[in-house]
Amino acid sequence: MPSQRFDQARPFLTLGLVVAVWLFLPVAVKGLLRASFFELQAPVMVSTSYLRDLQEYWGLRVHSKSELIAAGRDLARVNASFELASQQNTELLGEIRRLEDLLRLPPPAGYRFEHARVVRRDFSGWWQRLVIRKGRNHAIPVGAPVVFTGGVVGRVTEVHAYTAVVELISSPAIRLAAAFEGDQRPVSFQGGINPTLATPRGAIEFVPLDIFASPGAPRRLVTSGLGGVFPAGLYIGQVTKVEPSTDGLFKTGEVVLDARLSELTEVTVLVPLDPS
Amino acid sequence: MRRPAPVIFATMLLLWALVALLNHYLAVWHVHVFAGGLLVTYGALHLPLRSGLLVTAALSLVLEAGTGITPGTHLFLLGAAHAVIFHVRDRVPRDQTGTRVIIALLANLGLFLVLSFLLIGRGPAPGTMWPRLILDLVCSQVLIALVAPWFFALQERALVLAGATPRRLL
Repeated sequence: MPSQRFDQARPFLTLGLVVAVWLFLPVAVKGLLRASFFELQAPVMVSTSYLRDLQEYWGLRVHSKSELIAAGRDLARVNASFELASQQNTELLGEIRRLEDLLRLPPPAGYRFEHARVVRRDFSGWWQRLVIRKGRNHAIPVGAPVVFTGGVVGRVTEVHAYTAVVELISSPAIRLAAAFEGDQRPVSFQGGINPTLATPRGAIEFVPLDIFASPGAPRRLVTSGLGGVFPAGLYIGQVTKVEPSTDGLFKTGEVVLDARLSELTEVTVLVPLDPS
Repeated sequence: MRRPAPVIFATMLLLWALVALLNHYLAVWHVHVFAGGLLVTYGALHLPLRSGLLVTAALSLVLEAGTGITPGTHLFLLGAAHAVIFHVRDRVPRDQTGTRVIIALLANLGLFLVLSFLLIGRGPAPGTMWPRLILDLVCSQVLIALVAPWFFALQERALVLAGATPRRLL
C-alpha cells in the first residue's frame, strides 16, 4: 500500500525536486539559461521577419508605374517641407549653442539614432513587448529609449546578439517620470490598461491639484527628462481624465496612448553618445 | 527504437512558433492567444515521467525566454500541469482524441487563470484588465479546440515517422 501511494505521489515529488533544484540554482545560471533559450529562438523570429519583408517587397512590386509616380510626387512634397524644417532646426540648434556658451551650461546628452525593424510583437494582457532586429551587433545598450513618429515606444530591456527586446510604454512593467506639456512638475506614468479592439491606455499619479483635463479638453503628456533614460519633451499620450486621489494630496488620471503602438513595423532606438 | 521525447519537443517548438506568429498578427487588435495547456498535454499523457517532465521543463524555458516575468514561473506552472495530467492519465481513455482535447482545454484554462492571478497585480488598474483577459482566454480555448486534433495527430505521425512510437501506442 505505501508503495502504491508513493507511485501516485511520484509526479508531484519529481516536480518538487525539479522546483527545488531551480530555486537553489544561482541567478547567473538562470540568466544564462534565459539568454541561451532566447538566442535559440532568435533565428526563427528573424527569418520570419525577413520573409515578411520579402512578402511586402513583392506586394509593393504589384503597384503600377502611375501609382509609384504619384507616390514619388507626394514624397517630394514631404521632403521639401522637411528640408525647410531641417534648416530651421539647424538655426535653432546654433542659437541654443550660443546661449549655452553664454550661460556656460553643460551640453544636453546626445543620441545616435538606430533604426530597427520589428521582428515580433507580443501584446498579451500580462505584458507588451517587441523584439527588434538589432542588438549587440549595433551596440544597442540595455535601458535605451525607443521612439517612433508618434512619440515614445518604450525601453530596451534585453539585448541579445542580433536582436533586442523592447518593453512598451503600454506594459505594466514600465514606469517613467512624465510632465504635462508646458508644466515642469513631474508626474508618475505607468502603462498597463490594454483593452481589446481599443486604444491602449496608461495611468498617471502624483498630478498636482491645479491641473485639469477631460475628454473635451485633453492635455499632452511628455517625458520629463528626469530619471536619465528618456530625453525631455518626447510625446507619451493625451491625458483625458484626472480626478482627486484617495489621499486628497494629488490627482490620478488616465492617458490615452498612440493607437499605432500595436502595429509598429519600424522603431528608432536612441543610443546615448556618452554611455556614462 | 528512437526516443520519443526529442520528437515531441520538436512538435512543441513548431506549435510554439506558429502561435507566436499568430500573436504577432493578432497584436494589431490587442488579442493574444495562449496554448500552454495544449503544449504539455501529449507529453504528459504518453511519455514516461522523467523524460516527459524534462521536455516540459525545456518547453517552459523556451516560453519564459520571451517574457519578462520571474524566472521559474512557467517551469513551475507547466510542471504542475504536467504532474496533474500524469497523475490522472491511467484513469482516462487517453488514446481518444476527444479526451485529449478536453484535457488540453482544462489544462490551458487552469494555466491561464493562474498566470493571470499572478501577473494582474502588476498593472495600475487590475480590475479593468479582466474583460481583456477573459476575451483572450475565450480566443485561446477556441483556438485549442480547433487545433488540438490536428496537433495530436501531428505528434503521433511524427513519432511514427521517426520510429519513436511509445510501446503503449503500438
